[in-house]
Amino acid sequence: MTDNVVIEASGLKRTFGEVVAVEEIDLSVARGEVFGFLGPNGAGKSTTVRMLTTLLRPTGGTARIDGHDVEKSAAAVRRIIGVALQDASIDPLMTGNELMRLQAVLHGISRSESRNRGAELLERVGLAGAAGRRVATYSGGMRRRLDLALSLVHEPSILFLDEPSAGLDPTSRLALWEEVRRLNSELGTTVFLTTQYLEEADELAGRIAIIDHGRLVREGSPADLKSTVGSPTLRVDVDPVFLESARSVLIGFGPERPAFEGRCAIGLDGGAARVAEVVRALDVAGVTVSHLELDLPSLDDVFADATGRRLEGAEK
Amino acid sequence: MSAVTVDHSTDLRFAGMVASAICGRGMRRIVARPTLIMPVLLMPLIFVVSFTGAFGSLTRVEGYGTDNVFNWMAVYAAMQGAVFAGVGGASTTAEDIENGFFDRLLLTPGSRVPILVGTMAYSALRSTIPTTGVLLVSALGGLRLPGGPLALVTVYVATAGMASAFCLLGLAVVYRFRTMRSMILIQVCGFSLMFLSTGQVPLHFMNGWLHTVARVNPVTNVLRFARQGFLGDLTWSMTWPGLVALGAMVAVAGSLAAHQLRRLAA
Amino acid sequence: MFPLLLAAVYTHQFTRVILLPGFPAVDSFLDFVLPASLVQSVSFGATEAGTELARDIENGFFDRLRASPCMRLPLLLGRLGGAVVVAAVKGVLIIAIFLLFGAEIAGGPAAAVVLVVAAVLLVIAIGGLGQMLAIFTGSQEAVNATFPLVFTSIFMSSAFFPTNLMSGWFREVAEANPVTWIIDPVRRLILEGWSWADVGQALVVPLVISVATVTMAVVALNRKLSSS
Repeated sequence: MTDNVVIEASGLKRTFGEVVAVEEIDLSVARGEVFGFLGPNGAGKSTTVRMLTTLLRPTGGTARIDGHDVEKSAAAVRRIIGVALQDASIDPLMTGNELMRLQAVLHGISRSESRNRGAELLERVGLAGAAGRRVATYSGGMRRRLDLALSLVHEPSILFLDEPSAGLDPTSRLALWEEVRRLNSELGTTVFLTTQYLEEADELAGRIAIIDHGRLVREGSPADLKSTVGSPTLRVDVDPVFLESARSVLIGFGPERPAFEGRCAIGLDGGAARVAEVVRALDVAGVTVSHLELDLPSLDDVFADATGRRLEGAEK
Repeated sequence: MSAVTVDHSTDLRFAGMVASAICGRGMRRIVARPTLIMPVLLMPLIFVVSFTGAFGSLTRVEGYGTDNVFNWMAVYAAMQGAVFAGVGGASTTAEDIENGFFDRLLLTPGSRVPILVGTMAYSALRSTIPTTGVLLVSALGGLRLPGGPLALVTVYVATAGMASAFCLLGLAVVYRFRTMRSMILIQVCGFSLMFLSTGQVPLHFMNGWLHTVARVNPVTNVLRFARQGFLGDLTWSMTWPGLVALGAMVAVAGSLAAHQLRRLAA
Repeated sequence: MFPLLLAAVYTHQFTRVILLPGFPAVDSFLDFVLPASLVQSVSFGATEAGTELARDIENGFFDRLRASPCMRLPLLLGRLGGAVVVAAVKGVLIIAIFLLFGAEIAGGPAAAVVLVVAAVLLVIAIGGLGQMLAIFTGSQEAVNATFPLVFTSIFMSSAFFPTNLMSGWFREVAEANPVTWIIDPVRRLILEGWSWADVGQALVVPLVISVATVTMAVVALNRKLSSS
């Protein structure tokens, strides 16, 4: 283990009676990374996060957070991690300020210090105006942002976000992503986030692990993962009279793929770098192109490739 | 952002702050939504009215100990209310566990015992609301204080103690089963324990097994302690067994709850 | 279970109390408290029918009903059927347990039957009340409030103590309480013996109340269905 690895799990396992929630997880996350933990509902994401955050004892294997064992040095782990859990566990009868104060006390921060710190954090997530209101009056997006602000009160170096944008409308989701990116780039906070949205993992994470049935099935950067699925799809729209000649040119660059009528599609061997070459060849063949697009493989393709299933709700 | 200094050197002070913050949160919830406390307040009020009304003529039975039925029943109703308030305090934790708020508390890097202590303190504190309600209604009914103002102190001590003990017992069950439903069990248990004591009539009115059960029931000692000032003067011989009973109940329930709390992370 | 505990505790607490002048002549408080335990035990769970209806209403019961018109009275009574059977079984069990512990029913086996029938009628009355509330409010929470109401009205009646030994406003409340009107004749059947007048009162009072609450429930349902 190097100093740079801040989240490390090996052979992590958790069973509930007969049910195996997490079968065997090995992972390591470096300092400053945004790590995406992707998987469908019930894949074992939350169980893994609960083990990494000391809320649940592993049945087997070990996990270390910045060198501290989650079982033996749970208090040390809790001191350096910030956690925003699923369902935005916020008491609706309390105000933003009251929750901030409670959170500060739970982390041993003095009253005078927590006042400034709390105000600063609420300001940061755009809740300064709503801080005196009861959470019951907050929108879903506001609750998530409050949850995020709360998890930062003790300046954690590692942040766990469990499904941070589940149930949020697109605008709130974008605002939350922006905040996570800012935390990572400005403060160097390591972020471990679970999600069932491919888009979210793609947008935020520098590295992704895909979990299914309690096991990691893929791991790598989004680009690497996508490239393992194969070549990008090139689609060309042409006038029907050119269709046949276009096709004969295109199949020279890769295998044909299913396409709508009046359109030709191939898997482009060699990727985006060869687009210009394709265009020149079409020009030489006298084909007039009305539209051309290159679709990179999506994480959904990666997921499908790894599990043989599509993620629910993955469609845009 | 400013640097945060986290001081864990004074652990006891840290623990105290956590406990009082949790207690304060509970009280603030009541202020935020007063209807939360209504059942806890109404139940003992119905009790004091029903029992004094239905069994008013008990005072005419030789040896009842007082000629004012409120002087006997007020303490009993207040104690029932305290049990209810205590179990209700534990229910707050059940709710927190069900909706995930409890995880936030568990993520404190400090000891988890203050979470338990804070919830207990909240229960004890909120028990003063039904106790005060019962005393006020009883005052309207003609409650007298032969033992002087100290009589009121004993009632508040006893109800706070009962609320603490039953909150802890409730917490032991909540930490174990993590559901609101399990609270009903504790409520019935507390209610029955109150019922099998000298709540409604003195010990020498009872016969058979009930006499034995009521005699060994720790609640009987607590009732004697809390009621003495309403029947006559306060005496040490009536006081210490009650305090011992309260202490023992809190200690037993507390260690059960602490044990389950330690297992909670598993 | 709970009403039995209550009966057992009171019986052992009130051995001296039954000697009070004005208290009916009984060998044991057990005889006196039998109707109270019976009423209390059957009324636990009697509000269930209302709660169920409220749950159905929350799940769109009215809409389905509007889509398929059918007789409304049987629809409501049918839902009380389960509660009635449970009440009858409970009634028989309670009486059997009391007899086992030495209670005596002066009116004989026929009086015991009257007891059970009265208890069943009371359950229909409470169930109808719950259904009426369910239809009016459509919320389970509101219907659940009938339980403490029933619980309290049993305590504020002659169930555990004779009204002639009460005093002040509480006595007036207890005497005006329909639960007292049912408990008193039933108790006379147990303590004093068979009397047609008591049988009549024991059955007519709960019958009238149940007809009233069920009718109101049906009227409420009709109004609700035609209003929107």
